[in-house]
Amino acid sequence: MEILDKLVNVALIAATLRTTAPILLVALGGSFTTKAGIFNIGLEGQMLAGAFFAVLGSIWTGSALLGVACGVAAALAFALVFAVLVVSFRANEVVVGLALNILAGGMTISLMKAIFGTRGSIVGQGIVGLPKVQLPGARDLLGSWASLISGFTPIVYVAFIAVPLLVLFYNSTRLGLYIRVVGEKPEAAEALGISITRVRYIASLLCGLLAGLAGAHLSLGYITMFTENMSSGRGFMAVAILIFSNGDPLKVLAGCLLFGFADAFSLRLQTFGYPSYLVLTVPYVVALTALFALSYRARPKIIMETLASMQKLLSADKSTEPGSKHPS
Amino acid sequence: MMNDRLRAVSGQIIAVAVALIMGAIIILMVGESPVRVFMTLLRGAFGDQAKIAGTLLQTTPILICGVAACVGLRGGMFNVGIEGQLFLGGFAAAWVGFAFPLPAGIHMLAALALAVVAGAAWVAIPAYFRARYNTNEVVSTILSNYVAVLLTSYFTIFLFKRPGGWSETPPILPTAYLPGIFDFSRLNWGLVIGLVLAIGAALVFRYTSWGYGVTMVGSAPKFAEYGGVNVKWQGFVVLLLSGAVGGLAGGVETLGVHHRFMEGFAPGFGFDGLIAALLANGSPVATIFTALFFGALRNGSLLLEVDTGASREIITVIQALIILSVSAQALVRRRGDSQAGERRWKF
Repeated sequence: MEILDKLVNVALIAATLRTTAPILLVALGGSFTTKAGIFNIGLEGQMLAGAFFAVLGSIWTGSALLGVACGVAAALAFALVFAVLVVSFRANEVVVGLALNILAGGMTISLMKAIFGTRGSIVGQGIVGLPKVQLPGARDLLGSWASLISGFTPIVYVAFIAVPLLVLFYNSTRLGLYIRVVGEKPEAAEALGISITRVRYIASLLCGLLAGLAGAHLSLGYITMFTENMSSGRGFMAVAILIFSNGDPLKVLAGCLLFGFADAFSLRLQTFGYPSYLVLTVPYVVALTALFALSYRARPKIIMETLASMQKLLSADKSTEPGSKHPS
Repeated sequence: MMNDRLRAVSGQIIAVAVALIMGAIIILMVGESPVRVFMTLLRGAFGDQAKIAGTLLQTTPILICGVAACVGLRGGMFNVGIEGQLFLGGFAAAWVGFAFPLPAGIHMLAALALAVVAGAAWVAIPAYFRARYNTNEVVSTILSNYVAVLLTSYFTIFLFKRPGGWSETPPILPTAYLPGIFDFSRLNWGLVIGLVLAIGAALVFRYTSWGYGVTMVGSAPKFAEYGGVNVKWQGFVVLLLSGAVGGLAGGVETLGVHHRFMEGFAPGFGFDGLIAALLANGSPVATIFTALFFGALRNGSLLLEVDTGASREIITVIQALIILSVSAQALVRRRGDSQAGERRWKF
């Protein structure tokens, strides 16, 4: 019980919020492409590029904010290439996404070697991290619970505020509606005169924007350094979340909190002396389990659909028989 | 027919050329001379006898992983988890190699067999869920890569670490070695295994009804289903076979090259294999050539790091650019289709 007390406390919840933020941002970005009917496995690369160029930008300009802007710009560039190839050139989205991930990995390491002459990581060198926002009055109001709402970097707040904004966006704006129509019923969108190409471009770029913010948070907020492949599969976990949430912002939030918790919990376990290699597998195993378990749960839907289509087939068969009535 | 194939090959070559030009621009941006980088790569890959053997040594795992990817791609399955299967296969082979003394020959075969089983077992769960519940295999196999790498590291460092050594298992017994081909290089019979696998896979796809069914499922699943193919079961088998070959690649690397399992023993071979198979458009025979190309790049990049200021990851950038420009060709083939049309593309 004592161990449990040490493991689960306010600090763990605060850590969960901190680890949730990057994956939440990248998953919300992916929600745009998912809703627009694009399977975007390239989130990982956009996030990694965002993390690297955010560090580069903050060193060059001496400003964390401009660093974030650089990270976002880099992720947008990746998103644009993705959109050009997938939307305009009609290339396979899995192939393009994977290639862009590999490109991001190779490019960041090559540039790191070229600019800093080092391999592995960039530490110090004048990187300016994002400031922590201390909400005034939080400590007086909540006491020791204040760390749940105060003391995070601005991007963490952006991530959580983005959730309700996205719900509004999909339900009450024209662009949100267009994105959903293009994803769910592209034929209908075409018939309505909505430009599928333009909507998918916009969705891809919005995705790049949030993925870049997520990357910047990794290297300027979460910690103040860049390491090789520091996104370490978060983009892929986001894709897993997007598959079983279908891009709905609230479900995305629920999934991300689960992973954020798994991440924070595994970091915590490490300090208790469990073998780090096993502990580090926890978030991936959680992601896989959720993916498999929820696809198992989706089974009745698949069976219903199969049954419905079989029924249709059978009724079509019967109707060709002379003298038979259409079964309702 | 021949004309089509010629056009396909010339298309890939143009794509590679475009990628190399873009690569050259990036090399310029990094502050190196593209000519010097490419010449160094060439010298590092084919400069002398030992370098050529080194290139073939690097080609071996890429080729076997490439065949693994081809098997999946032909059946419409993206096995992005070859990297993980390679790691588990490599560890499994090493385990048999150092823990069970067996007669020469049988020992090696037993180790390779367990590598194959380990690779297939590792992909079994994603394959089952893909076949049964249509769970996206791209994501599940990618995520299982991370688990595989961490798990084999755990085995190596916490359970089987060689006393006093680095992060590696005890060396395998010489009875389990894959014999070498030349005495001046670590090049071994694994290359022959890879070539036999590639040609064997091509023959199976071409001349057996099972192979035809797999190709059919990959290119036109509805048609195959009407034709009486059990699509789900076949998808499961295809992924399992792909994983088995991926595991074999790890076994060959352990028994032929390192003679032990080390942490991070074969970084990126699984992904290189997938890229080689994509560039070869899923053809196992063409994968022999694309794997050789990537093997040469990899071996050349070792010299690159010594002789120039460029990092060897520049070849990763070039590989990614090649795949991007190959994928862009889809435009030429599919111009004029409606954006709303069915999204079924070739790679």
